[in-house]
Amino acid sequence: MAIRYLKKHAALEDIVTVEDAETLLEWLKKQTKPAVNLSKCKHLHAAILQVLLVIRPQIVGEVPDPWIALALQSPAA
Amino acid sequence: MNQTELLDQFIQEARECLEQVGQRLLEVEKSPTDAELLNDLFRLVHTLKGNCGLFEFKPLERVVHAGEDLLDRVRNGTLAYNDHIADALLEAMDFTVQMVDEIEQTSQIDSQADGRSSAVAARLRTLLQNGGKLPGTPAPAQAAATAANIVACAAAPETTPAAVAPAWLATALSAELIKAHPNAVAWRYRPDAECFFKGEDPWLLAKQAPAILHLSIGSQSEWPSAAEIDCYQCMLELIGLSDAPVAYVNEHFRCMPEQLEVVELSLLAPAKPDAGTAAPQAPAKPPAHATMRKRALQLWDDQMALLARPGLATGTLSAVRMALRGLLMAIGDEPALRTAAELQTLPGTASAVAVVTWATLHRPVEHAEGDTTACAAMPTGSAADLDPVLNSPYPAYLGASGAAGTGGPDASRRNGAPANNEESGHQKVLKVGQEKIDRLMDLIGEMVVAKNALPYLAQRAETVFQQRELAREIKAQYAVINRIAEDMQHAIMQVRMMPVGTVFQRFGRLVRDLSKKLGKDVQLVIEGEETEADKNIIEALADPLIHILRNSLDHGIELPEIRRQLGKTPQGTIRVAARQESDRVVIEINDDGAGIDPQRIRNKAIERGLIPADKAGSLSDNDAVQLIFLPGFSTADTISDLSGRGVGMDVVRTAVERINGHCELSSTHGRGTRLRLSLPLSMAVTNVMIIEAGSRRFGVPMDMIVETVRVHHDDIHHFKQARTTVLRGRIVPLRSLHDLLALDDKPHLNEEGEHAVLVVRLGGENVGLLVDHFHGATDIILKPLEGVLAGLTGFAGTALMGDGSVLMVLNPKELV
Repeated sequence: MAIRYLKKHAALEDIVTVEDAETLLEWLKKQTKPAVNLSKCKHLHAAILQVLLVIRPQIVGEVPDPWIALALQSPAA
Repeated sequence: MNQTELLDQFIQEARECLEQVGQRLLEVEKSPTDAELLNDLFRLVHTLKGNCGLFEFKPLERVVHAGEDLLDRVRNGTLAYNDHIADALLEAMDFTVQMVDEIEQTSQIDSQADGRSSAVAARLRTLLQNGGKLPGTPAPAQAAATAANIVACAAAPETTPAAVAPAWLATALSAELIKAHPNAVAWRYRPDAECFFKGEDPWLLAKQAPAILHLSIGSQSEWPSAAEIDCYQCMLELIGLSDAPVAYVNEHFRCMPEQLEVVELSLLAPAKPDAGTAAPQAPAKPPAHATMRKRALQLWDDQMALLARPGLATGTLSAVRMALRGLLMAIGDEPALRTAAELQTLPGTASAVAVVTWATLHRPVEHAEGDTTACAAMPTGSAADLDPVLNSPYPAYLGASGAAGTGGPDASRRNGAPANNEESGHQKVLKVGQEKIDRLMDLIGEMVVAKNALPYLAQRAETVFQQRELAREIKAQYAVINRIAEDMQHAIMQVRMMPVGTVFQRFGRLVRDLSKKLGKDVQLVIEGEETEADKNIIEALADPLIHILRNSLDHGIELPEIRRQLGKTPQGTIRVAARQESDRVVIEINDDGAGIDPQRIRNKAIERGLIPADKAGSLSDNDAVQLIFLPGFSTADTISDLSGRGVGMDVVRTAVERINGHCELSSTHGRGTRLRLSLPLSMAVTNVMIIEAGSRRFGVPMDMIVETVRVHHDDIHHFKQARTTVLRGRIVPLRSLHDLLALDDKPHLNEEGEHAVLVVRLGGENVGLLVDHFHGATDIILKPLEGVLAGLTGFAGTALMGDGSVLMVLNPKELV
């Protein structure tokens, strides 16, 4: 499992594949203050990225992948 | 499911398939009318095509499909095999081999192959249409036309967006960025909403676009609220800027040309005067020598990575030193030349580690002019640090283009860390080539045979030399050796054991793709995937199981509406269950689909001329269902790329029987079908019973034997030539092994006037074999008959016995 669901945030680690998208979405929807930690993440599948872009959770820690960082900075639609 | 594992397996299988195809093609050329050979060839190509369908290798599939169609016609006899066909098929095969090589190296097919693939496929199709003759204006003309078509397609996106800048360009890319890279290419990629289901990762694809400078992400339409989002519908829109030729960008996104828009910023220039004036001043193209320097440094790092690899070949080190020196000379400025001279002074015997240390210390600086961009901060700590740099998904481009802005510094910062983490994670798995295990297997086989010689020795000691004491000791020793040998054999078998799940893992994808394609809703339930069996067995199972699943999906499970009308749940279920039953593995494939209509089977079998009409009428429903195992049987009226060619179930049965398994089919019309495959755990050692007839010894495979009985000759009923007896209230036909093998003697009777009868089970029926004597059971290594003897179907093979004699093992199925 590339996602660890912790008390305050979900830690996305290593390579997060499309299979995790739905669980992540459901989990984020349930949180009052959704947050994710991407600091150990090497690659996100586009579906995961899309979930993050829709929910816009708070990003805990730094984002190692520059492109992901850039994508998450872009103004919310 | 792991995609790369699947791919590896595909490559391996494709290789095997192609190897055999090549062999068969040559054989067919010698005897073009051999139906068995053609069937075999066709089956191989059919399997290959099926496998291609699992992946998105369109160029490959196109060629193989064309080949298959051609072979099908040849097989049916509607097309005579000739040299043209042979040439075309061989050419197609060579092309396929190339493709597979390419897939192995790069996991994808080069887009240039598309044109060649069309050409090859077109050539095959022309043969198909012209009845195997090449027309006056040969295929190349057509191929050229196709190729031209492709070129036109490829060229289209380059030419259409002329001077007008699309709206998305300005919103996603800032004016400065566009100004800074007047020669770059901007592209917008809007992935298909269903693309996640195709296993695509648009983000990864975009990220890996050539020489990417900027990448921004947005949505194709308004983002929906969190409550209504469907996370499996792709709504992303990716806009990027690449400092690469348009052709490279098109090539990168070649699989989805309709989802891509490309704009060359240089073509836009006249429309935007400010950008146009800015362009000449901008350092658009780095001077040639800077590019060269960059490239030289990459090569430098490559050399380091090479040295960091384990198991360095002799000569590599000196080659690396030569390369380093060459690089320094190529850079050619003063410090580089100085370093080159220094390299010469390095002792010739310096170890790889020494060279790496030297090279990392003396790595030429990135920019001779003292450019202070982020990339100069490349970690130069140790060779291990360089490794991830080379392996990171976008190695050179990021470091090279300082204007990557946010990208640059972050990238270099993270490069050092991961290598160390990965190194600490150790795995204690030994990878051993299969041939080594096979050798062990052979050796233990010989050991088993050799150890079996000891009881004979003990017997001789007792009878010939009158040494009872010695005989007893030999027997005691034998017991010890026997135990060790058995343990050893068991242990080696364990090594070869693989969970059947390795075959099952590819089913998920297959069922999903096919059910989507067919518009059916199917749930796949897999049970007992941890059940283990010999590697060869497992591998031999892969093809048959895929055929079975395809059949279930295509013919078994009904469409959801029909299921609803029949009062079933709309979702069909295919259940694949594996379990171990004593020394056999049983795999059951159940579906709750339409089942098989025996009447339809009968009609089809008659229509296809497989059995005469009167015989079909007299078959019971259950027997009629078994007709689907006949070669050439198919109920489908049209040929789809799923099934309907009449190779399916025949292939299944042949493959299963080849590994000493058997399959049973039962089906209830309207309720579903159940197929039960029973396979041996291992094929290496066969347990046989030794019998004697006409003072010769023969082996009979233990798994066919039901019982051994003695029958009084008065209890044998004669009816004309046939002999029968009644065993436990059932009539059992008797055959004399002497007659079957044309031995001169008659079956012996013992003192009580009884016959020794070996009851064997053949295709669900018991048959008694009259023999002379029974001897014990023994484990043997069965060697199939070879050479001129290979045609003797009455024998399964031979085995070497402990006393040096050769035991012929009967194949009762063929004999009786």
